[in-house]
Amino acid sequence: MSHSIRAEKFVADVDRTTWHDETLWFVRQKRDKAVYGVPEFQELRELASQIKEHTLSRLDDYLVQFEAAAKANGVHVHWAADAREHNDIVLGIIRRHGATRVVKSKSMLTEECHLNPELIRAGIEVIDTDLGERIIQLRDEAPSHLVLPAIHLKKEDVSDTFHLHLGTEKGNHDPQQLTEAARQHLRAKFLAGQVAITGVNFAIAETGGVVICTNEGNADLGVNLAPVHIACMGIEKLLPRLTDLGVFTRLLARSATGQPVTTYTSHYTKPAEGRELHIVLVDNGRTQQLGRPDFRASLKCIRCGACMNTCPVYRRSGGHSYDFTVPGPIGAILSPNIDMKKHSSLPFASTLCGSCTDVCPVKIDIHVQLYKWRQVLAEANEIPASKKWSMKFMGRMLTSPKAFGVSGRLGRQALRLLPHGLTHATSLNTWAIARELPEPPKQSFREWYQQQEGKS
Amino acid sequence: MSTARERILAAAKANKPAETKLPDVPVFGGDASVERFAAVLAGIGGQVSWINGPRPSAAELQQLFPDARLVASPLFPASVPVDQQTPISVLEGIDLAVLPGEIGVAENGAVWLPEPAMLHRALPTVTQHLALVLDHRRIVATMHQAYAQIPDAGGYGLFVAGPSKTADIEQSLVIGAHGARSLVVLLH
Repeated sequence: MSHSIRAEKFVADVDRTTWHDETLWFVRQKRDKAVYGVPEFQELRELASQIKEHTLSRLDDYLVQFEAAAKANGVHVHWAADAREHNDIVLGIIRRHGATRVVKSKSMLTEECHLNPELIRAGIEVIDTDLGERIIQLRDEAPSHLVLPAIHLKKEDVSDTFHLHLGTEKGNHDPQQLTEAARQHLRAKFLAGQVAITGVNFAIAETGGVVICTNEGNADLGVNLAPVHIACMGIEKLLPRLTDLGVFTRLLARSATGQPVTTYTSHYTKPAEGRELHIVLVDNGRTQQLGRPDFRASLKCIRCGACMNTCPVYRRSGGHSYDFTVPGPIGAILSPNIDMKKHSSLPFASTLCGSCTDVCPVKIDIHVQLYKWRQVLAEANEIPASKKWSMKFMGRMLTSPKAFGVSGRLGRQALRLLPHGLTHATSLNTWAIARELPEPPKQSFREWYQQQEGKS
Repeated sequence: MSTARERILAAAKANKPAETKLPDVPVFGGDASVERFAAVLAGIGGQVSWINGPRPSAAELQQLFPDARLVASPLFPASVPVDQQTPISVLEGIDLAVLPGEIGVAENGAVWLPEPAMLHRALPTVTQHLALVLDHRRIVATMHQAYAQIPDAGGYGLFVAGPSKTADIEQSLVIGAHGARSLVVLLH
């Protein structure tokens, strides 16, 4: 199913679409306010971009350096080429400890690998502990945003979900009281957790440590109470030096939510005494993307979600319309690398306005890559026949002045003579679904110009 | 058959672009004042309070936290002794932890808390309320200066900026998600 078909369902609820649009635009405005308060913000973006580019240009060296440093710290390092291997490694560690209760903090990588269903199938209780993640887990939904996983839901939805699963008072929509109920519910889970699984925001090659950023404190609470910590990370999360974090911690939260920094920026380098720390390094298509010169810059992404908050298409179509772990503009350039056929409509879910590129804290040329993916998809024959042939026809027509003149005349005549029901038939003209065609002019500019020449 | 490690490293080596330079990060200047630190911290739900020395007195604590019954701290004889072996059943009951912070960051209200300062790794988040003692002369302007003063992050260490919070329900800010419900920085 294409993005536009899924989006159609989303926009059917006009009020909710408007609310979604405005809520995310509000986050974008908070981002602007935070960014304008940092005079060197544009320099920081450039530095972050250069640091990430350098790291990718020596990725194999930094991975080896990171592994050696982590091992020296007493960390178990694992390598997974794909989602299957990643899930097997994680399940293997859990089984070795005879554990059945897992607390998890936010990790888009484990979403990408579909780890939760795997673990649940194996009889493990998996509790997502980020509040937004827990809400959607109880509803059996996927996150609809990178950092605001339940942004598609209203407080009434959350209230109903908590009433059903946590026994909160029916009709109580107060966010404060709903959050308190979740705090109590999850605290019991934290205290009983046997294994804590987390994602990773940054990994430092020189120290072998990983950094995790949260506002709720759920990663720290889960990890520091459980005997075993498994940190799952894509191999592109590496930074060379500890001091590079100065750049990235200044960019991440400001770009994401407009906060000056996340509440907790936690550095895990060595396991606590008598405990275990496992780091799983996952490829799952990343080295393939590294080999695509036009698209490798997408690996610089630090998952802040700024491109979503600003995107006119994302804001008005919702994260679930993308049907990919990472929605929005960044998801639309990451997803075709994973499955070109399944995600072929995503690079077209964009106006190419470039706002995503403007706000990206690591300067990924997102809208340029969207445009380039369209070329790749057309070459690979992964676009609908109607789009392919109309583009071919338009291409021919627009390159020939004669054909252009004739088509213009025919078009103006047709618009004048044919009934509205035919020119705007949505089965023939999808462009007209939500738009009105212009009033046809009597003559073209070229015709008018030729007449003027005769007059003078 | 080659291992996943070998395959990933070989693919990264084969597919990586030509090497680019690792830039030097300049130490940007900035406002390192106590006023800025306090204002930013207030903006993220925390607060600053002044005490007379590096160890808060019983009277100062009583005034600031009249309801705290079970208190943990390395700075004074506290009601709950905590070390790395303290069981979860004890940790979960702690009302207040008073811990020595090392560096304050004016631009974002964060305080660096290294592992030796926190008694048990879970204490800063499992406690209901958190107070961080900080020498006001240790406030720096930005994260660059903070990291410049952290030679390595130790086994575990964290920047704490304000109380635990969430906005996951309809973007309504709620203080006290899973970690400490309040955060006071005790400046001296």
